[in-house]
Amino acid sequence: MGQPEKPRSTLRINLDILNAIRDEGDAKPTHILYRANLSHDRLVKYLDELVGKGLIEMQQEGENRFYRITSKGVSFLIEIRRAEAFIQGFGLAI
Amino acid sequence: MALALGPLILFSLNVLSAVVAFLTSYFAYRFERVADSPLLKAITVGFMLLGVGLLAEAGTSVALGQTLVDVLKSRVLAVLATFTYLSIQVLAYVIFAAGYCYVAFGRGWKVASAAILAVVSGRIVDFVGFYRFAVASYFVALVLLAFVVFQGVLIHSRSRSSFSLLVMLAFVLILLAHVVLLVSVIDLAGVLFLAGTVIQFLGFVSLLVFLVRSARVGPA
Repeated sequence: MGQPEKPRSTLRINLDILNAIRDEGDAKPTHILYRANLSHDRLVKYLDELVGKGLIEMQQEGENRFYRITSKGVSFLIEIRRAEAFIQGFGLAI
Repeated sequence: MALALGPLILFSLNVLSAVVAFLTSYFAYRFERVADSPLLKAITVGFMLLGVGLLAEAGTSVALGQTLVDVLKSRVLAVLATFTYLSIQVLAYVIFAAGYCYVAFGRGWKVASAAILAVVSGRIVDFVGFYRFAVASYFVALVLLAFVVFQGVLIHSRSRSSFSLLVMLAFVLILLAHVVLLVSVIDLAGVLFLAGTVIQFLGFVSLLVFLVRSARVGPA
C-alpha cells in the first residue's frame, strides 16, 4: 500500500489556477474549476485572492465572467518555476 | 611583496568559491517564502557561513603569503585566523547536515542531528593542539559531508532531475576535496592541499551551473 497523497499547498492550488487561466487565455470559471480540481466555493475564494493581488483580472461580458492572467501574474509564474527548479535540487517540492 | 603562486591560486579559487556560496545562499533565501522548509533555511545560513569561511581562508593565505600546510610546517603564529575559518566552515557543514536531517527524519531531526554532533564532537575532543585541530576540522567536515552526500544520492535517486544531480555532484566533489585536504594536512603536502582546493572549486562550479540552469527556467 502506498503512502497517502499529501494535500496540495495553497501555493500549488494558486499555481494550478494560474496555469489554467494562462493556457485558456480568457478562462471561464467552469474551465478553471475543472483544471484546478476545486469546489465552486473554494475556487471563488482563490480567484478573489488572485484578483486582489493583481495576478489575474476579471472581465464581465453580459452574464458571462472571464478571467485573464496579468503581466504580473506571468512574472509570478516564472518566478515560481525558478523557485521550483531550485528547491528540486535539494529534494523539496512546492 | 610578491605573492607566491600557491597562495595566489588558493586565494583566487577560494574567492570564486565564496561568490558561488553567497549566490546559493541568496537564492535559498529568496525562494524560502515559496517552500517554507528548514532545509532552505539551513542552506541560506550554511552557504553564507561557508562563503565567509572561504573568504577568511583566502584572506589568511594572502596576509601570510602561505597556505595552511605552509603555516603548519613553519609554525607561524597564524593560529587564530586559521582556527576561525576552519571553525566557520565546520559550522556551515553542521547546519547543512541538520537541514538534511530534517528532510530525512522529519520531526526526529533534532535527535538525529544531536546524534551526529555527538559522534563528531567526540572526535574533536580526541584532538589537542593546532595541527590536530586542523586535522580534526577536516575530519569532522568529512563526516558531515558524507551524510549530506548520502542524502543527496537518496534525493537524486527519487527525483532523477538534472538539478538534484548537479547539487549531488557539487557535494560529492566538496567531499572528495575534503578527503584530499585531510590527507594533505596529515602529510603536510602543499601540492595536495592545492589539489584539494581545486577539487572543492570544481564542486562550486557544479553549484554555479545548477544556479544558472535553475534561473533560466522559463514559463511552462
